[in-house]
Amino acid sequence: MSAADQIAAAESGLLEIRGLVKHFGGVTAVNALNMTVRAGDIHALIGPNGSGKTTTLNVISALYRADGGSIRFDGAELVRRPAHAIAQMGIARTFQNIRLFGDLTVRENVMIGRHVRTRVGFVGALLPGGATAREERETRERALELLAFVGLERTAGASARSLPYGDQRRVEIARALASEPRLLLLDEPAAGMNPAETDALVALLRTIRDKGTTLLLIEHDMNLVMSVSDRVTVLNFGQHIAEGPPADIARNPDVITAYLGGTLDAA
Amino acid sequence: MQFDPVANMQLLVSGLAFGSIYALVALGFVLIYNAVGVVNFAQGEFVMFPSYVAVSFILPAVTVFGTVVHWQLPIVGVYVLVLVLMTGFGLLFNRIAYHPLRDRGWMPVVISTIGVSIFLRNAAQLIWGSQPIVMPSLFAVDTISVGPLHIRPQDLLIIAVTAVLIAFQFFLFERTTLGKQMRATAQDRATARLVGVRVGRIVAITFVYSALLGTISGLLVAPLFTVTKEMGALIALKAFAASIVGGFGSIPGAIIGGLTIGVIETFGGFYISSAYVDAIAFIILISVLLVRPQGLFGERVAEKA
Amino acid sequence: MNRSKAGAIALLVVVLALLPAVVHSDYLLALCDTAGIYAIVVMGLGILLGFAGQLSLAQAAFLGIGAYASGWLTTHLGWSVWPSMGAAMALSALVGLAVGYPCLRLSGHYLALATIGFGIITQLVLINWKDVTNGSDGMGSIPPPAIGSFVFDTYGRYYYIVLVAVIVCAYVAWRIKTTRVGRALEAIRENEIAARATGIDATRYKIVAFVLAGTYAGLAGSLLAHMTKFISPDSYSFDQSVVFLVMLIVGGSSSISGAILGAVLLWFLPEVLRPLKTSYIMVYGAAVIAMIVFMPRGLIGLFEGVRARFARRSPEAA
Repeated sequence: MSAADQIAAAESGLLEIRGLVKHFGGVTAVNALNMTVRAGDIHALIGPNGSGKTTTLNVISALYRADGGSIRFDGAELVRRPAHAIAQMGIARTFQNIRLFGDLTVRENVMIGRHVRTRVGFVGALLPGGATAREERETRERALELLAFVGLERTAGASARSLPYGDQRRVEIARALASEPRLLLLDEPAAGMNPAETDALVALLRTIRDKGTTLLLIEHDMNLVMSVSDRVTVLNFGQHIAEGPPADIARNPDVITAYLGGTLDAA
Repeated sequence: MQFDPVANMQLLVSGLAFGSIYALVALGFVLIYNAVGVVNFAQGEFVMFPSYVAVSFILPAVTVFGTVVHWQLPIVGVYVLVLVLMTGFGLLFNRIAYHPLRDRGWMPVVISTIGVSIFLRNAAQLIWGSQPIVMPSLFAVDTISVGPLHIRPQDLLIIAVTAVLIAFQFFLFERTTLGKQMRATAQDRATARLVGVRVGRIVAITFVYSALLGTISGLLVAPLFTVTKEMGALIALKAFAASIVGGFGSIPGAIIGGLTIGVIETFGGFYISSAYVDAIAFIILISVLLVRPQGLFGERVAEKA
Repeated sequence: MNRSKAGAIALLVVVLALLPAVVHSDYLLALCDTAGIYAIVVMGLGILLGFAGQLSLAQAAFLGIGAYASGWLTTHLGWSVWPSMGAAMALSALVGLAVGYPCLRLSGHYLALATIGFGIITQLVLINWKDVTNGSDGMGSIPPPAIGSFVFDTYGRYYYIVLVAVIVCAYVAWRIKTTRVGRALEAIRENEIAARATGIDATRYKIVAFVLAGTYAGLAGSLLAHMTKFISPDSYSFDQSVVFLVMLIVGGSSSISGAILGAVLLWFLPEVLRPLKTSYIMVYGAAVIAMIVFMPRGLIGLFEGVRARFARRSPEAA
């Protein structure tokens, strides 16, 4: 058992990944990955391009099927469950290449995020008034609150596609939060944002954490990672090479080598 | 039913001939799909329309727009003429039904090709009426004897021409610059454009090539059937089924899928039910899709998220 | 829905209800009845294609299943018409489930082709299963529905059954579109991966949409059988499915009023194009291409575009 395994086994977290494997054809994108995300942390997953970060996130949210290993979320096994079931268990996510419902309005996007927290089905839809109307009103109000929370209340009626890039990323966050997740996965939330937007994002992520949601994020902006994370996991070639508080990670020689000898600030 | 090796050999030849037609039309589907990511629902009309044009020039008397014409040109000359006309048709088709919609996703293009299909089928009815027309074959006799077998020479011609076209296809894609550009466009249009391929031109050429494959299939198959406005539709649907059975997007898959469906359909029509013969291709298709969605020869579509 | 829109719809319903009082031609009334029945089929397709983004070319097959189920139950088993209509819808829904479950694992072109295959197989069964369907000769003497001693045996009377059915179907489609189920369907259409990651069981919802489309077509088929009293397999072809698709696209695929508008307009279009005689379907084909090239969101999109322009010019009107 490696040192990393021992550390991982000693602590129990909200999300526990053990021996995770994912192949694409002959390429092994994730290779026996172990990783633990503690409840209440902002946990960053970093590594050079092609190190398997996004693949890991996609396997957690079941967009890819794991070829081996285990992912436990609050003790429950996630591997082999379908994507929608993962979301129902309380894991929401955003996407690196934004995946909004482009033709729908911003508000509708966030309302769809409430899907797992609402109940009205086909029969309910045919019975206006009563529980249906109440739930519909609550869904709408909650969506507007969340849009206000991410600072987009003014664009609620615009089509999602028409928004600037940075705003679209915030709509994705609002949509993910609408499901009241216990774990929020963020794939490069700062990509395409200017420095002011990035600062606002950092504050937003902290607020989300302080409200009780655990965050697992992939990010290339090392300043952001170092300032916002409670814990960092470093991947290289699909394998875990280091895990710890950001200050330790920045001094770790393996990590620095992985980034081609460069300093983390430059990466 | 008794097992009769002679009858089975004859069925096999006939099945391979129909299968060859499906393979050629399926090839047309796949080439267009690879180039532009869309299934051309007018592919059957690429088979039907030139057949009508050809019979009009070949037969001693044909009613065109209600008047009887007596062109009666030599068959081979007509074949050449039709191929030239269909080259122009392929270019026009690209210009009208695909080009304006090229940035709008697959569904608008599918619908516009359906529009072309409706247009051509009813144009054919308007021009040639609704009576089926018999296309003469190149051959004077219907069947020839090869040992104990009675075989239609047209079947052998179909198989031979298909074999030549398949060989040409592989030569084109493996050995020529044009073929390599077509392959590059099919794989990744953006990258192809970056390395200097004129993608728009390659797409136009693909439409023409596909129209010509349809034309050749039509000219080959018309003497076995009659020429009607519906003749292309069912061939095209089965060819489409064949291309999916073989693995959509795969050229060997289209060819083998076409031959497989032709043979199974011919045997099924003989041994099981001639009434449901047209259902066989789709039963094969749906079964294959359920068991092996990527088709027999297709690679599993890369997971993307 | 705002008040002016509700008022406009109420007015339209009143005008439509008064129509048989003005139109006395049996021929025109029969056209109106059929237009309404086709509107139901196209609304069903709208739920599947417009809301959920799944292309099916089997809508005519479901129309046929509904028509033959209703025709067989009334003529062979002597059922009365209303329970037969219910059974026709139920059977279409069940077939929708049985076909949708395997097919909706496919997407895009594959789904389109699988549904074409299903449609062709259905039509072959209608032609060849002679004990039940009477084959190509068709099934006749299908009785009209009645309430007590009032028999809906004229096109003018039947019109009201169709009108009620269209209103109910439009209402159901509208309720679905504007609540959680409809949003889930639209999410699948817009981005299936994101929809799944948001907790939407996409396969289940697509099946729901497929079953609904089948149910609508089944009801329409039953209505058609009891209106025309005679059915034959050639009405339930792949070409007819294409016509329904075109009606939806021309009207505006994700809009309920667009579906109705497209069905009615394209059903009456041949009447307008009557001077063109046999070439009208050719013009129809060309119109489809022109529509899709120049009016991507259909007639409803065009209409809304014009309205939006007027709204911008006169801000006080908004």
